[in-house]
Parts: sequence; structure tokens; C-alpha cells
Amino acid sequence: MILYTIPIISQLETVMKHVLSWFHTSLGLPWAWAIVGTTVVVRMLLVPLTIKQIHSMQNLQRYAPQMKEIQKKYKGDKQKQNEELMKFYRENQINPAASCLPMLLQLPVFIALYYTLKHFDSNFHPGASANLSFLHFIPDITVQTTAVWGGYVLLVVYVLSQMASTFFMAATADKTQRTLFMIMPLIFVFVIAHFPAGLVLYWVTTNLWTVGQGLITRRLVAQTPAPSLERRSSRTPPKDDGTSGNGAKADAPAPKPAPSASQQPRQVRRKKKRTSRRGARSRT
Amino acid sequence: MSAVLRVPALLGVGLVWLYRLTFGALFPTTCKYHPSCSEYAVQALRRHGLVRGSLLAGWRLLRCNPWSHGGFDPVR
Repeated sequence: MILYTIPIISQLETVMKHVLSWFHTSLGLPWAWAIVGTTVVVRMLLVPLTIKQIHSMQNLQRYAPQMKEIQKKYKGDKQKQNEELMKFYRENQINPAASCLPMLLQLPVFIALYYTLKHFDSNFHPGASANLSFLHFIPDITVQTTAVWGGYVLLVVYVLSQMASTFFMAATADKTQRTLFMIMPLIFVFVIAHFPAGLVLYWVTTNLWTVGQGLITRRLVAQTPAPSLERRSSRTPPKDDGTSGNGAKADAPAPKPAPSASQQPRQVRRKKKRTSRRGARSRT
Repeated sequence: MSAVLRVPALLGVGLVWLYRLTFGALFPTTCKYHPSCSEYAVQALRRHGLVRGSLLAGWRLLRCNPWSHGGFDPVR
């Protein structure tokens, strides 16, 4: 592939090679499980980002009625709807759960793994007796997924896990978009079928992690109610006043939390201010 | 910009599309900004060329993290 001509890619491959062989030689894991281990480590490194996302989701839930209102108002015009939603986020200091960076951080890992598996023999020089199988149904994780019948099983698992992870992670309330995201794996399975089985294994593992994370998140979001609503909305009223032009509907619920603002302990407010200032700085 | 100078930027745009059709489609997250990061990258590349466009797109990606607030953020 053309990508390989980019120097950083071969460096990524070297890093991945060392990580995999550490799992294999130091921890004594078979190659397939070394991939699973690597995936788990990558996702664990991303956990701090996830925790922040969980907080965002908790906060987002409380604004759901107002956001639905905006979506209804600009039903015909997707672009306008999006813009208005973004404005609403900013006015209310909402931090949307979705962001591109955590997802993009997985891209280099994926590319590195692709090339490491592709050049598996020259990277690791496995003997004829090397164990490259995964759970007995995939005899060799370095060959194309569809080369063995077990590969098809893995692909089915992939599709299901991808759908499940989309169900939890697609941070959009838009039904058409959600459906599209759910159908995507059915189309992409044809592309993925050409990848080495180990790569599909990476994908399945990361999806399952996402699902597990999603299940925990849902429980956490359901469990923690009011406090942060008050904290957040202590800022809402003045912000809404300034933008009465487009936030007419959003004004309605604002007075409700307003009295609670006066009861807020100072410390909480100061905390809020600091985050907003940080947000402002990052924009410039 | 003359047509020749625009070629590198268009290559960049091509890469963004490659990403969109492959990895981007596999990991569905909707961006917290409007326009989305990939759309921003395309616009920045078209308007400012490969080097400046890439830098702008890279900076936007770094801003698109769980700590930022997102929002309406067009290419200037």
C-alpha cells in the first residue's frame, strides 16, 4: 500500500512488533492472545478520556428535552439543526460526549498491527511449530480471514460486536444516522474479510471493550442524578438572556434551576468557572 | 492559487476521503464541532493549501478532545 512509504508507518510497526513480542515472550501468551492483550492495554490507556466522556454523557442527558426541541424546530434543515445544537452546547457550557481524538488515536495502532501481521514472518521468524491459532477455530491469525472456515465465524462475531458497540457509542440521537451506522458493518465486512484474522481479532476485542464500557456507563449515568444539573445550570440563566434570539425555547426551563444557583456552595462555582475559562483558551 | 499549487492540497483532501470511507465509517462517532473535523480538514486544505491546511486540521483534531466544549467552528 502507498501508506507504507510514509516513514512513520514503519516506525509504528517496529513499536507494535516490540509490544507483541513482549506479550508473547515475557508473558508467555500465544500470538493471538498477545493481540488481545495489546488491544486491552490500548483501551486502558484511553480510559481517562472515557471517564470524561461518561461525565459529558451524564450532563448531556439533562438537556435532552431542550435539544429535542431544537431538533424539532429545524427538522427540515440538517445543517441549521446542527449549527443550532452546537450553539446550544456552547451557551450552556455543555461538553458533547463525542470527540474525534480518542477514536483517531486508535488509527495508528490499527495501521501498525496491520503491517506487523502482514510482515509477520520477517518480524518474528516463527518456527513451523509456532502457535498462531486462536481458540482452535482460527488456525493462523496471520492469513486472510476468509482463508479458513473459522474466519467466517470471526467475521460474524465482528459484525455483531460492531453493531453492539455502535449501539452504545454512536453519540447521535439522529435516527437515520444511527441506522446507517448500524448497517455499516454489514458493508464493511467485505473489506475486512481481506484483512489478516489477527486484525479482525483486534477489532472484535476493541468492540467488546466498548460494549462493556457502554454497559458500565449506562449504569453510572442512570445512577447519578441531580447534583451536576444544578452545578451546570447555575450558569444557564445569564447565558440564555444574552442570546434570546435563537434560544427562545431554551429559556423556558432555565428559571427552574435558577433559585438553586444561589444555594450553590462557592467552591462548586469556582470550579465551573475554571473549566469554562480553560474551554475558552483552547478555542483560541 | 494556481492549479499546480493546488495539487498537494487536493492529495490531502483525497487522504481525508480515504479516511472517511474506511476508518471513519468503521468507528462512528459524531464530531462535537460543526463543521466536523474531517469536513474542517477538507475546507482548510482547499483554502490554505497542504501545509497550512494540515496544520489547521491537526490543531482542530487536538481540540476535538473530551475536555473541549465543541461548537460552531468554521475555517477562517
